[in-house]
Amino acid sequence: MKLVFYGGGDNQDNKILDQTLISISPSKKPKIAFIPSCSHFVDHEFVDFIKKYKRFNISKFLYFPVDVPFDSVMLRAVMNCDIIHLAGGNTFYFLKHLRKNGLIEMLRKFVARGGILTGLSAGAILMTPSIHTASLPDFDRDENHDNVKKLNSLGLVNFEFFPHYINSARYDRELLRYSMDLPYPLYASPDGSGIVLHGRIITFVGKNFCFYKGKKMSIKS
Amino acid sequence: MQVKLKKTEVRNKEFSYHGFEQLDGDHSFKKAVPGAYVEYQVRKRHGGKVVYFNFELAREMGLIESSHPDKFSKKLESVILDTFGIVIINEYDLIHKTKFAKEDIKPKKYMATRYLQLQHPCPTGKTSGDGRSIWNGEFAAHGKVWDVTSCGTGATCLSPATHKYKKFFKTGDPTISYGCGYSETDEGLSTAIFSDILHKNQHSTERVLAILEFEKNIGITVRAHPCLLRPSHFFNHLKQGNLEALEQITDYFIERMKKNKSWKNVPTNRTKKYDYFLEKVSHDFAKAAAKYEDDYIFCWFDWDGDNTLMNGGIIDYGSIRQFGMFHHEYRYDDVERYSTSIKEQKQKSKYIVQTFVQLVDFLKTGQKKNITSFKSHAALNEYEKTFEYYKNYNLIYKIGFAPSKIEGILSNKKNMHLVSKFRSAFTYFERAKSQRGIYKVADGITWDAIFCMRDILRELPQLLLLRNQEYLSAEEFIEIIRSSYAKKNDLKIAKERKIKIQQFQKYYLLLLKAVGRSCNTKVDKMLLEITMRSSIINKYERVTGDSITIITDKILHTRPSLQNIEIYEILQEFGSSQNLNPDKTKSKPRNGVKRSSVLYGMFKIVNDYREGI
Repeated sequence: MKLVFYGGGDNQDNKILDQTLISISPSKKPKIAFIPSCSHFVDHEFVDFIKKYKRFNISKFLYFPVDVPFDSVMLRAVMNCDIIHLAGGNTFYFLKHLRKNGLIEMLRKFVARGGILTGLSAGAILMTPSIHTASLPDFDRDENHDNVKKLNSLGLVNFEFFPHYINSARYDRELLRYSMDLPYPLYASPDGSGIVLHGRIITFVGKNFCFYKGKKMSIKS
Repeated sequence: MQVKLKKTEVRNKEFSYHGFEQLDGDHSFKKAVPGAYVEYQVRKRHGGKVVYFNFELAREMGLIESSHPDKFSKKLESVILDTFGIVIINEYDLIHKTKFAKEDIKPKKYMATRYLQLQHPCPTGKTSGDGRSIWNGEFAAHGKVWDVTSCGTGATCLSPATHKYKKFFKTGDPTISYGCGYSETDEGLSTAIFSDILHKNQHSTERVLAILEFEKNIGITVRAHPCLLRPSHFFNHLKQGNLEALEQITDYFIERMKKNKSWKNVPTNRTKKYDYFLEKVSHDFAKAAAKYEDDYIFCWFDWDGDNTLMNGGIIDYGSIRQFGMFHHEYRYDDVERYSTSIKEQKQKSKYIVQTFVQLVDFLKTGQKKNITSFKSHAALNEYEKTFEYYKNYNLIYKIGFAPSKIEGILSNKKNMHLVSKFRSAFTYFERAKSQRGIYKVADGITWDAIFCMRDILRELPQLLLLRNQEYLSAEEFIEIIRSSYAKKNDLKIAKERKIKIQQFQKYYLLLLKAVGRSCNTKVDKMLLEITMRSSIINKYERVTGDSITIITDKILHTRPSLQNIEIYEILQEFGSSQNLNPDKTKSKPRNGVKRSSVLYGMFKIVNDYREGI
């Protein structure tokens, strides 16, 4: 299984994570599908995404929003890519549309076949067992406008993920409390940091933190 | 040097609104073309509130300072209400000696302009024009002059109703709708939404500066543009054979174009000056007609030259629509007649140019000849050439070529051969219609187009790159391009269609290769560049006329819980999301905009109606 979790940030912040991603791809010129969290305000995000990976000599990209009807030609092409990237945005809205279109199971199969799945912020949260962390912290959470009740997600790993982490007491209070009842760790990554899972090897890039059973630990890369 | 203020300084700054004082009814048009308007005394209209104010436009005009934040203050609201919250004292008021408080009467008079209107009983424009609008004045700043008018300021004597019923109407008379001189808030709001989107997508259009609301959903919509004259402002004088007025208005218009630096190097010689005028008008109308056709914008051009500005731009959004696909059989039902269809716009726009040929000849010779004698005039040949040039230009732009490359493509004969072949295949799909045939819709008749060209232009470069330029199968092609209007029978892949699918992809790639060769760029690189640009130009969700109507209703429904600043922010956000220009600077989402309930609802409406009319 090959997964990359991005804590957030822009192209400059994520240089090392991007390089690591390319290094674990079996294809030197991988085909990448970009799945935005919603179809609005993201057209320029796709262009920025292409510009970022063009630097690695990659030239094959697909743009695949899932909150609008899509054709089967594109869907097949996406599932045949080497890398699928789940972008950031509203996690609840994103999950709702992935689920509605049967993409949760398709993405699991994609990963099981050896495809690389990457996610930034909301996209990274979606790769974990649940998207509860999208509601944290109370003062800066994703709004659940669509009233999504089933919060279980792709469940590709046995940890939860908290992006855009800021090392402060305000954040810690909520994450510590949330981690108390979790049966697995909660990893928190600031912008520019993240996690790479390659088979059984987990690599932390940049400064990351682990919240487990009400305790906080710093993880060095 | 402009000093940039800190945020706190901007917040606490007392802004000056002296610019508004220019909008007091004075307008240079009055002196320049004395017989072309009717003047009215106006009075304050009490009880209004500001529903919408376009800060972006006001800053661009120079009406407010460039550092002015998107924020209402009591002072600003009061200035807006004081400047635009007015109603005319019309003939009915004068006849009935209606009394008004002295302090409410503004010192200067405001004009309602005369122009030709096909729906008006008088076919020469002697009694038609601004039926419910007045001109607030002209605003000059930063070397540019703007016309500012207000719609819904009372019933003038130029309204069709006055002449149909041979009487003057009291402003707000409930027995007559359009003729009562009022407009409704939703009209203003839908114009604000639509015009902002079209402006952001490089269309010349009137823009909404402010919307004021009074009780019972009655509103005043304030509009601005660097020149709000229409061809119909000229054609009434032409129809009447009034050479003096025609010369006055033509000279006035040319001067405005010079003043605003829209036209440069205008000849001083009288004959050459009018030839230049004709050349410019012909070019602008051909370009606009091509762009409307290619952007699927339905704009009702007709012989009267109403519903359009002098540069072919858009004014009066009542019948304007943007289709999601090329629904070229749609016609607006204007009660007494059906409108033109989108395909007929070109001929109607050309006829407007032909009328300008007649007009210029009249100016030059002093003799008014029959319009048919100009049907083979060189200006019309030029119109055809310009129209064709822009049809090709627009198509190549939609494919995703950067504007810097397009001129080179169009000046190369071999490339032009490929463009023409590709256009033929493109048009075949774009114009394909449903087997359902013509049927009635809420405001007219239509016959559904079945293929969504944006979808194939967006996805094709991505798929060709992925497959190392291997063509899509006919079935795949149809799967991508089919719209929700297409039924099983519409999608049959007969021999001709199969050939067209092949040709579409063949000439698309050949064109890319040819352009790539000329700029020493590999096809894959070209395809990637085109992937990026076309994903924005041909984005999935694009507003249509229907979606604008429904969105306006939604905003009005939500409005009691929205402050006027929120309406502005929502409209700005929404307009940015519909900006399909890949070369624009990326706009960041605004903080605190109620994206949740209203904006996402608006996006959903856009998606749901994206293929419609």
